[in-house]
Amino acid sequence: MAGRRAALKAIDWLAFAERVPPNQRGMFNALKTRTDAISAKLASLPETPAAIDWSYYRSAVAKAGMVDEFEKKFKALQIPEPVDTQTSNINAQEAEANKSAVAYIEASKARVATYEQELEKFKNMIPFDQMTIDDLNEAFPETKLDKVKYPYWPHKPIANL
Amino acid sequence: MLSRLVFLAGSLKSSGPIGAGLVQASRSLQTSSQSLAPVPPLPEYGGKVRHGLIPEEFFQLLYPKTGVTGPYMLGTGLLVYLLSKEIYIINHETIAAITIGTIIVYGVKKFGPSVAAFADKLNEDKMAKAQEAKDVAMSSLTQAIENEKKEQWRVEGRAMLFDAKRNNVAMLLETNYRERLHMVTNEVKRRLDYQIALQHLNRRMQQEHMINWVEKNVIGSITPQQEKESIAKCIADLKVLAKTTQAKAAA
Repeated sequence: MAGRRAALKAIDWLAFAERVPPNQRGMFNALKTRTDAISAKLASLPETPAAIDWSYYRSAVAKAGMVDEFEKKFKALQIPEPVDTQTSNINAQEAEANKSAVAYIEASKARVATYEQELEKFKNMIPFDQMTIDDLNEAFPETKLDKVKYPYWPHKPIANL
Repeated sequence: MLSRLVFLAGSLKSSGPIGAGLVQASRSLQTSSQSLAPVPPLPEYGGKVRHGLIPEEFFQLLYPKTGVTGPYMLGTGLLVYLLSKEIYIINHETIAAITIGTIIVYGVKKFGPSVAAFADKLNEDKMAKAQEAKDVAMSSLTQAIENEKKEQWRVEGRAMLFDAKRNNVAMLLETNYRERLHMVTNEVKRRLDYQIALQHLNRRMQQEHMINWVEKNVIGSITPQQEKESIAKCIADLKVLAKTTQAKAAA
């Protein structure tokens, strides 16, 4: 009976709900309802069954030795614990999720780095009223007029004016 | 000659209309090298001039020696000298110059500010657009950074999902185990109860059977002679009873 009482970790459903992104909310709700159903079922069953009153049966049943035999066999009975087939799967899933999460966080951090770099560039820009056209072309390379491709003014296709 | 005087004034302080050109020149020279970055911005207004022509520095230059009226006296004297010595000859061009000059000055004075405002507004609009684009870009970047951080925070909660799953599995196992226990107990109880019920049934049937058998036997064992005797006795008893009752009733 040692492995029976695997400790149930207390789950803070509120905090969990906060961390769920909106596009996975349906799955979260399904999980929650399933969990609630399972825990309700568990709560409805008492932990140990009602004890059998052997003395009463010994006095009541006339057949000699039957009650004793039953009692002996009953006490000797070892109910096998149900085998846990899924926890290893769950652990494997968790390991996989951890790996992909780490990869995602790495990518996310790289993205944050690029964003912050661009933000720094914007913050350190001189204000527009002190820029020359050269400064503007340095800050925003897309504003540079291609004088080689369009050698005549306005140095860009007329449609883009 | 006038231009020479202007140049003299301009060389002293480099913020006349020539001064702006100097600054521009220095800027274009400096973009190639890396010294003196950032370049100081262009001054917003040109140097002050009087009568639209003569820089203020000229008057300041002559002020210590000749006071306030000095430059005007100089100007008047020069003009009179040029006219009297016929160094400047009045001809048709003079009249044309005077009239055209008057019209130009009048036009500029009247429409100058509005044209300037219009041109400034065009520039302002361009800058406002650029500024807006920059602001939008900055705010979207900050928003993107926020979102990324939020997503990272969300990912941290992934352990909870697996805890919930493991809890579910544990609960299911526990439920299953308890169900098995209950089933065993109930089955054993049912069997014992069945035995007891069987016993009761047996006993009852035995009792009923015995009762029936005894009754049958007793009834069968009453012989007709016994029956006659018992009836006679009953009648005698009844008679006695009737007598005592009558006696009681009379008394």
